[in-house]
Amino acid sequence: MIEIQNLRHTFAIGKKEHERKVPVLKGVTLDVQKGEIVAILGKSGSGKSTLLHILAGFMTPESGSVLVNTKETAKMKEEEKADFRLANFGFIFQNFQLMPGLTAFENVELPLKIKGETVKKRQAKVRALLEKVGLQDVADHYPNELSGGQQQRVSIARALVTDPPILLADEPTGSLDSETEQDILMLIQSLNQSLGLTFVIITHDDEVANVAHRQYRLHDGELVKGEKRHAI
Amino acid sequence: MQFKDQLDFIKQHMKRNKLRVATTILAAMMGCAFLIILASVGFGMQQTVTDQVLDNQIVTEIEVAGREDGDSITDQEVEAMHQIAHVKAVTDRTSPNADAVAKIGDRSGFVAAATVDMEQEQKAGLKLSEGKMPSSANEVIIGYHFAQNLLTEEERKKVDDGEEVSGGFAGSLIGQTFQLELTPYEGETEAGVWEFTVAGIKEEPGKDWISDNTLLIDDSWAPVFQEELALEESGRQVLVYADDLQNVADITQTLKDKGYYVYSVTEELGSMNMFFTALKAGLIVVGTVAVLIASIGIFNTMTMAVTERTREIGVMKAIGAKPKLIQKLFLMESAAIGIIGTVLAVLVSYGVSILANWLVPKIIMSSLGEDGEGMGDVSILISVIPWQLVVISAIISIGVAMISGWRPARKATQIDVIQALRQEL
Ligand SMILES: Nc1ncnc2c1ncn2[C@@H]1O[C@H](COP(=O)(O)OP(=O)(O)OP(=O)(O)O)[C@@H](O)[C@H]1O
Ligand SMILES: [Mg+2]
Repeated sequence: MIEIQNLRHTFAIGKKEHERKVPVLKGVTLDVQKGEIVAILGKSGSGKSTLLHILAGFMTPESGSVLVNTKETAKMKEEEKADFRLANFGFIFQNFQLMPGLTAFENVELPLKIKGETVKKRQAKVRALLEKVGLQDVADHYPNELSGGQQQRVSIARALVTDPPILLADEPTGSLDSETEQDILMLIQSLNQSLGLTFVIITHDDEVANVAHRQYRLHDGELVKGEKRHAI
Repeated sequence: MQFKDQLDFIKQHMKRNKLRVATTILAAMMGCAFLIILASVGFGMQQTVTDQVLDNQIVTEIEVAGREDGDSITDQEVEAMHQIAHVKAVTDRTSPNADAVAKIGDRSGFVAAATVDMEQEQKAGLKLSEGKMPSSANEVIIGYHFAQNLLTEEERKKVDDGEEVSGGFAGSLIGQTFQLELTPYEGETEAGVWEFTVAGIKEEPGKDWISDNTLLIDDSWAPVFQEELALEESGRQVLVYADDLQNVADITQTLKDKGYYVYSVTEELGSMNMFFTALKAGLIVVGTVAVLIASIGIFNTMTMAVTERTREIGVMKAIGAKPKLIQKLFLMESAAIGIIGTVLAVLVSYGVSILANWLVPKIIMSSLGEDGEGMGDVSILISVIPWQLVVISAIISIGVAMISGWRPARKATQIDVIQALRQEL
């Protein structure tokens, strides 16, 4: 499903004259199979988000290749990347990234609108998903009228609404208390099991990492396989 | 994204910043209304002047004033003019070089005598208020004020003293016989007197300041006058009539090519239209400056909108919105400001135009006082807004709105997803 080969990336920091090179990824290689949950751990500043951003096509790596469904994303044009993301990825962000002017329902509906689906199809799909994440009663609420856990459920519903095969999550529970975190993790697990969705989850939280089938640790620009504490 | 969803999207965005969007629309409206109203004055002036020109003459009439080489127009040449396509009639009036006085009983009066081709006059549209067209060479047509100008010696004295006399010849002149005395302007020849019978009276002239005391005599008399009075060559007035206004320009050109001095309504309007086209273009350019000033407002509003929504744009891009779509949504928003502003501006402009056309002539009249009475039949249009002006102004304002939204929209497409997602909520 996802094949990352020898990925390198270096950031240039500071002004042109005395710029400093900061190598963040120094040859990362990773294979993710369909239906897997893969967790990537690492200290703050170790380059986890950078890896995910490259995978999502938000930025272009210095070298190396990223194949998603055998497609090389780095070589795509902006417009192609957008279409590719719409078809293949769902995103779950730490701070939810909902549209403040849209209700929960409309937020979930947004990717379908961008895709150009008809109103009828949209309504049915969104309603079904809101039910699945347990938010049918707050569909008309705006994000600022929802709790953090509810907002993250909206964001998960939004990520799922276009039926993407892969979900990318950057610290999905980073802004939630531990009880809500458990709810969200259970939701992720059940989605993985019932729909066979592939997850790549970035976290520094062992609780989160424990739902993964495989764990990796990003250390000094390299990815090392982590040992699992509990079996799922 | 479906078009309806795009509209919903920008509608929702505009609602979120009602006050800012409303003031920007207001500025766009004022700019566009200024442009329309300013240019409408040019259109109004043109309309007023054109109406005056068309009102004062028969529009299908083409005057052949003479030959460019200075020769006088010959009968054969007049004959040739009949052959030009779309010519309905050619009237050929020759005025004898002599004072013409009509006498009936103790009354007499100067008349404007001319020998004419009666058949062509009728074809050209000569209308009678009374009587019929002549059936013999001794019968004539007289002008509407002919009878009125026939005065007695006594009355004539009064007129010379500046007194009003009413009447002239009372009763109908139809069937009456009168004497025409022709006294040559130059030469030694004695005056000649002929008798004619009135067959018909021309209709009243369209303007009340025209006094028509013409006398139209059959052109078989022209050689008679010429010979008996030993007249110098007489003045000839040739008028060519087109069958329709749209053929006037062609006939005018044909006559010009043949070497005549020609004068027609298209000639006059042609040079006038050039002037007014330049004037209107100038006014539109000046008006566009107002639209450009308003566009700064649109630029600001859209730039702020993009800055404010950086995070949302980032999310849109992250979940799969193409840069093109983002650009389109912002361009649509600035276009919407332009369109709403233009629609309001058109309504306001028509209102102002109607008000100005009603109010300004009133003000002019009252400031002219009694002198204004003479202007009674001159209709002044201060402002005219034809649909072409609406179209031009709409294109300018909506175009300018979209151009000013262009940079902000480009900026929106270039927003970096990672940076945008990092922004605090
Ligand atoms: N746009 C950038 N320009 C320069 N340096 C950057 C840029 N983005 C990230 N970095 C640097 O790259 C390194 C990795 O950043 P990254 O955001 O991937 O860390 P992370 O592992 O996600 O950390 P955290 O757990 O705190 O989110 C950091 O040292 C950071 O300073
Ligand atoms: Mg991070």
